[in-house]
Amino acid sequence: MKKRDLISIEDLSNQEIDELFQVADNMLARDRGAGGPKACSGRIMATLFYEPSTRTRLSFESAMQRLGGTVISCPDMKSSSTAKGESIADTARVVSSYADVLVVRHYWDGAVQAMAEYAEVPVINAGDGSHEHPTQTLCDLYTLRKEKGDLKGLTVVICGDLKHGRTIHSLVYALARFGAHVITLAANGMELPQYVIEKLEREYHYSLAPVASDDLHAVVRETDAIYLTPSQPHQLALFTQVDAEIQQRLSKMASGIKFDAFYVTRKQKERIEEGSEGGNGSYPRIGRDFLKERRFKDTVVMHPLPRVDELSQEVDKDRRGIYFKQAAYGVPIRMALLKFLFDSLDKAKSRAGQKKAPLYESPEPIGPRCANANCVTRTENISTRPRFEVLFTGPGGALILKCFYCDHQLKVQYMGHTRSRKYCPYDIALGDTVREWLQHGELAIFDSIKQAEELGYEPYKSGPQRSIMDEAEMREALCRMSEEILKESKDPERLLILGIRTKGTYLAKRIAEELEKRSQKRIEVGEIEIYGAGDDLRSLSPLEGGPSSPSVKDRGVILVDDVIHTGMTVKNAMSIIFKSGRPQSVRLAVLVDRGHREMPVKPNYVGKHIPSSEKERVRVKLREVEQDERDKVVIYSIVSPENSHQRSAPSSNPKADN
Amino acid sequence: MQSDEIQRTISRMAHEIVEKNGGTANLALVGIRSKGAHLVRRIAGKIKNLNGVAPPVGIIDITPYRDDIEKGGKIAEPRPMEVPVSVDDKTVVLVDDVIYRGRTIRAALDLMGQLGKPRRILVAILVDRGERELPIKADILGKNVRVGDSQRVNVLLQESDGVDQVTVTEDWQRK
Repeated sequence: MKKRDLISIEDLSNQEIDELFQVADNMLARDRGAGGPKACSGRIMATLFYEPSTRTRLSFESAMQRLGGTVISCPDMKSSSTAKGESIADTARVVSSYADVLVVRHYWDGAVQAMAEYAEVPVINAGDGSHEHPTQTLCDLYTLRKEKGDLKGLTVVICGDLKHGRTIHSLVYALARFGAHVITLAANGMELPQYVIEKLEREYHYSLAPVASDDLHAVVRETDAIYLTPSQPHQLALFTQVDAEIQQRLSKMASGIKFDAFYVTRKQKERIEEGSEGGNGSYPRIGRDFLKERRFKDTVVMHPLPRVDELSQEVDKDRRGIYFKQAAYGVPIRMALLKFLFDSLDKAKSRAGQKKAPLYESPEPIGPRCANANCVTRTENISTRPRFEVLFTGPGGALILKCFYCDHQLKVQYMGHTRSRKYCPYDIALGDTVREWLQHGELAIFDSIKQAEELGYEPYKSGPQRSIMDEAEMREALCRMSEEILKESKDPERLLILGIRTKGTYLAKRIAEELEKRSQKRIEVGEIEIYGAGDDLRSLSPLEGGPSSPSVKDRGVILVDDVIHTGMTVKNAMSIIFKSGRPQSVRLAVLVDRGHREMPVKPNYVGKHIPSSEKERVRVKLREVEQDERDKVVIYSIVSPENSHQRSAPSSNPKADN
Repeated sequence: MQSDEIQRTISRMAHEIVEKNGGTANLALVGIRSKGAHLVRRIAGKIKNLNGVAPPVGIIDITPYRDDIEKGGKIAEPRPMEVPVSVDDKTVVLVDDVIYRGRTIRAALDLMGQLGKPRRILVAILVDRGERELPIKADILGKNVRVGDSQRVNVLLQESDGVDQVTVTEDWQRK
């Protein structure tokens, strides 16, 4: 069955929103008691709320019942099946056999998208983390339209906490789509996030200007207002230094603005610590001063509710306070939406198909992951596959991956070509090549060089190799390190030598042999597997033929790797060790320390210190891995001399050399 | 360590942080509860005095991540920072009063990994008492102190104890 979901306000076109509003008008016109046509008769709606809600859930349930349908509800999902560890995918599959539409609220960004992918029936997002809340936005737009007519050209002032609210971000985009002007009046430290403003500039050609309006002082004293508007008619965008003349023009401009609506929001207390930075200063308040101001005589006041003290009770009785009406519209709007989704069954395109750009998914078993810690892909790896929109328009020509689930952006550092198995850092000059690889599904993107190397990729360009350690030196170094380890170990039998796969494992075995020879005791060896920064593909395992998974509890662990560079690998390895138990101690032995640490780790035993440049790679070659090779350590540059100067020259096209 | 010395040490640490980061751009300070939370605010204040820009400050509590407390098989849910700052692409400086076995910092590193993708993590500590059990180092260090296993290093700060002082006591004298 083909179905439509509503995950983001972007899932509906402007025309569809207009149609929805017409249906809502009909729903509203219908008398409460009257029967009327029962569009949803015989259908069941399930509401799954992983986060508490009163308004949204009740208005959905009311809407469904008004349409003649019935409701099954689980208002507290967190304490039910998820507590037993059920995945989002399984919940979606199971519940969609009980109901005809799912209404979901979740605490993770993008979780409702994940649910929609597995549900057989339409899914409606009733708020996911700090990502989106599209039905609230529909209500807001509908209310504005009822009060003010056409949305185009309206000026809406949004004030309060613009940083934390999921409703605000959806609303701003939607207003931009319909061509409204937006004035932001943020409480100190709660400004609209930069990425929201960037999106307005990029996709809707909005420009912004600070406005100094004395009238707004009735609401807020400390903050400057920012005026966001479709790029005409002025060129006042982005002033950093405001001199007297411009100041005058700005206030003149401000005096010409007609304020159509104030959208007030609550301070999201649960996400801010008392007395911290960002929580100080005055919070915009609507009260007596506002009501008295002549400039605001036709300005309506909206609020998504619940309110705390930013909206005075005095406004309730005033005709301009329309927030209870706004809340009441929640039912007809949701009725219209339910009807719309049921009507579009079997004629709909899937959401992924609607996205303009093709989605990128790593062709390799491991790949980039979303940078947002609250994104559903970070925790639910059974139900989600990290997928991204690829944007070539990042600042400074950066290549950006935008998470399909939560819309967070990630800058691409390293990329590779799946057929030639070569990797290189991303550079703006490679844009066309990347497009081509992407089209053919040959583009691999990596979080780190380590990840690329684990997958068997070679650097695309490399300078001449220089040997810095030979077979004899390596043997000597390992002997010395083993001796030091033994000297500092009171109880060699409690030692556990853990190699980091793959080369660390071979070195761990060699060190263990050496230790056994010296101490005449059996030394246990294990292995840790780490793929770049991918948290999910890590494991602690015994060596082949060894006993079952080694226990780290109260052991003296010696962690072994070939080269230490940023220290990220060691940090991840420690994370794995501590997840499986509490060792008595962890010591770190590396053959080569090449500097450039990004993590606060320090090896206890080092074979050789090799100060190296960032552009160089140090590579340990071992007889166990490389055939017909002797043990040695080599160093080479990954940027060849001619390439580093003329990046844009044709020769820098990696494909030309393959 | 007495009040004056502590003040000077904190100033020096603030200098070193700015130096190691090559300025104040993309810097975020994260204090570890409870003493680190006071220290981090002071360091941020000093950096503001030096450079005019106060770096963002976050406070974390790593108690649920401590490996020396039996977890009963449960995985701790990531606990948000109390003063949220974005750590993505930032140089994050973890601030604490004393470093000893290295277990607190290791737990903090885990937590940072769950909160985002810092570009680099530095560790700033007022007192290093040595005897590490994990391969962790302090990048910015106030003072090294050699003390025995049975002794205890107490960092007293104006904000919580009414006085700035570092003392070493026998464990049984624990206040």
